[in-house]
Amino acid sequence: MQKSLYLTSNGRLKRHENTLYFEIGDEKRAIDIENVEQIHIFGEVDLNTKALNYISQYGIILHFYNYYGFYTGSFLPRKKNVSGDVVVRQALHYLDREKRLFLAYCFVESAVYHMMRNLRERKEAEAFLIAIEDEWEKGRFNISNIAELMGLEGRIRNIYYQSFNQFLPDDFAMEKREKRPPTNPINALISFGNSLIYSHTLSQIYQTQLDPSISFLHEPSEKRFSLSLDISEIFKPLIVDTVIFKLLNNRQLELEHFDEDLNYCYLNQEGKKIFLKEFQNKLETTVRHRQLNRNVSYKGFIRLECYKLIKHFIGDQIYSPLRAWW
Amino acid sequence: MYIIVTYDVNEKRVNKVRKILKKYFTWVQNSVFEGEITFGKLEKCKRELLSVIEKEEDSVYFYEMEYKLVCNKKVLGQEKNYDSIIL
Repeated sequence: MQKSLYLTSNGRLKRHENTLYFEIGDEKRAIDIENVEQIHIFGEVDLNTKALNYISQYGIILHFYNYYGFYTGSFLPRKKNVSGDVVVRQALHYLDREKRLFLAYCFVESAVYHMMRNLRERKEAEAFLIAIEDEWEKGRFNISNIAELMGLEGRIRNIYYQSFNQFLPDDFAMEKREKRPPTNPINALISFGNSLIYSHTLSQIYQTQLDPSISFLHEPSEKRFSLSLDISEIFKPLIVDTVIFKLLNNRQLELEHFDEDLNYCYLNQEGKKIFLKEFQNKLETTVRHRQLNRNVSYKGFIRLECYKLIKHFIGDQIYSPLRAWW
Repeated sequence: MYIIVTYDVNEKRVNKVRKILKKYFTWVQNSVFEGEITFGKLEKCKRELLSVIEKEEDSVYFYEMEYKLVCNKKVLGQEKNYDSIIL
């Protein structure tokens, strides 16, 4: 398995002796570049074009995050898997109203399914589970456009986040979901986790022939790769939320791992390390795939979702979103 | 698969071998590398090594294990954690 590196310390990425070095002060660490797929940079890291050129030879993607852990952008090496055909067909699915709605619906359906899956195991959240089911069954059949679908998804997500208070430790109570900026620890965790999953999804999309800027559920605005938002919709409850539940309920993350500023809250370096470790473990966890008859990691499932979309676009097989069966 | 590599190479070529190996594995001790790797990458690595070493004089050992867990590594004294992915 190709690995992801997370650089939380400040230092310098350097090309030296035909491999990559990460220097933290006087300490030097050689990176086995052949086995690296992506590097996530959280600290203050210096690097020069010599290093970038070398990194791009191996098709390694660099993701940058700012001081607060928000996604800044990525360095994407020259794309090797390009297919004009797939991109044209992908765009056709966006232009056709019916086809676009179908795909958007698929993403939401899978997201809702995974949200309910998370709550199903928890007795305390039963009332919320029923509320979500009601909302979903009531709303899913009278959707005529994307805005309505987004609205329904928003309402469900609201109930879902409300239910967190029932089974998470009391120090991590949340009144409501707040982004930009997150004001309390749990919001900070969700935001941090989501920005991680966005960039991981982008890495996977980038290795397929899909165009990351043509999306279906989210409006393909010109400023971001919104297809990765679409696909990560499926994986947010499946990966990010379960990691958060585990870390908080096992008391691995405590309030001391958060820094608070004015009306701002974010993970400190120690907290980030704990979160990243668990997140990476989760991504590498494997599940037996029934059709493929082999073990597939959570990261692999993101890639499989991309392949399913390609198959859908070229008219090979109709897309059916992931529903965790395990 | 998980691999431990040890090498005993003439001084003239030792640096060349080291440089190739550290692209693929993590350095753990003098003349010892280890790490997770795929079949294809391993084959590529062996090719690169063959172009450098003298077959009559040098030797590179590969201890191949299917999983990391099989290896059951025990450490006396300092363990250097060179392979962590969070830095």
